[in-house]
Amino acid sequence: MGNAEELITAALDDAAESLVGPGDWLTGSQRRAAALEARDARTNELDQQRRDALSPNAVPGGHEATAELQAEAVEVIHRVASDPGRLTQVWADEKMTVLGEETYTELVGIAACTAVLDMFAWTMTGDDSQLGDDTAGSPAKERPDDVGDVGAWVSQTTGTGMANVSRSLSLVPVTNRAWVGLVQALYSRGAEFLDLSWDRALSRPQVELVAARTTAELECFY
Amino acid sequence: MLLGASGSKAGLTVDLEVATDPTKTGDAGVPHGNELLAFATAANRRSDVLPQARAALAAVVGHEGLVEAAATVAIFNGLVRVADGTGIQLDPSMLTSTAETRAALGIDLFSGAANSQDAPTQPRQDAAGVMGMFS
Repeated sequence: MGNAEELITAALDDAAESLVGPGDWLTGSQRRAAALEARDARTNELDQQRRDALSPNAVPGGHEATAELQAEAVEVIHRVASDPGRLTQVWADEKMTVLGEETYTELVGIAACTAVLDMFAWTMTGDDSQLGDDTAGSPAKERPDDVGDVGAWVSQTTGTGMANVSRSLSLVPVTNRAWVGLVQALYSRGAEFLDLSWDRALSRPQVELVAARTTAELECFY
Repeated sequence: MLLGASGSKAGLTVDLEVATDPTKTGDAGVPHGNELLAFATAANRRSDVLPQARAALAAVVGHEGLVEAAATVAIFNGLVRVADGTGIQLDPSMLTSTAETRAALGIDLFSGAANSQDAPTQPRQDAAGVMGMFS
């Protein structure tokens, strides 16, 4: 296993551990349940109907609460996991009114980390990633002091030196640590990101070509 | 949008339409582009042809190259969800530098474009621009 693969594997392992451990505002069992809901969204019938509809709002009904998660939390996970390109601020505001913006943001992070873990496993092996048992402990329940409105739907670090995507989950530090670890290992690798002709097994244009096709497939504006 | 910049740096003539439009064929001007695009498309669609696409890609870029491609598909699946789920705006430097390309490729028609309609276009103090996104 080469250095890059070791780096990637370590970050994936860290993120998998974080997904089943105590988080920012959710317990390990709640985070694990949310990750499983994100995985279910790929084949869930309601999500499929929404994806096929001209507007997801045209499909009646909604996801129900589970033993671990409120109905609104299940909705957030399923929509972010299955149809992220058609989310709206009105929809997000409705969910945040019930869940709070911190829990909403943590759920977005869980959906994202689950997507990364499962997609990597799928592309390499054809299977989902392995999720361990949840671990006990209390959520950190820490809202950073330096967050505020920077134009996104949720509060983020207000300093001027960070790009929006780099601070997108800064409201939830525990979730953000796992997320940033994934971004660094799987893509940016610190100062290497500044090098348009980096020395990797794939050249920079080859990596960016895969990125371009992926974001196009997912209809991501950002 | 770093495809164009990195391609220029490498002396390539990158075809962004081929890169982003799966109905178009070709290598987009990037070495082993056919295999990379087939792999990315099959992975994102969870297609039954992924094993063949994976084998074809590994045959030309090796195992380490395959790992890098898989990592790229995976992380951008996460980035898309974080960006769209938190409703972030496109950064000022990106908003201005990619305007023509976004319009030409139809990217401005994506729903997420609404989040950046009122976004500022003046560079932030760091002036790191696009290259400061993940460093």
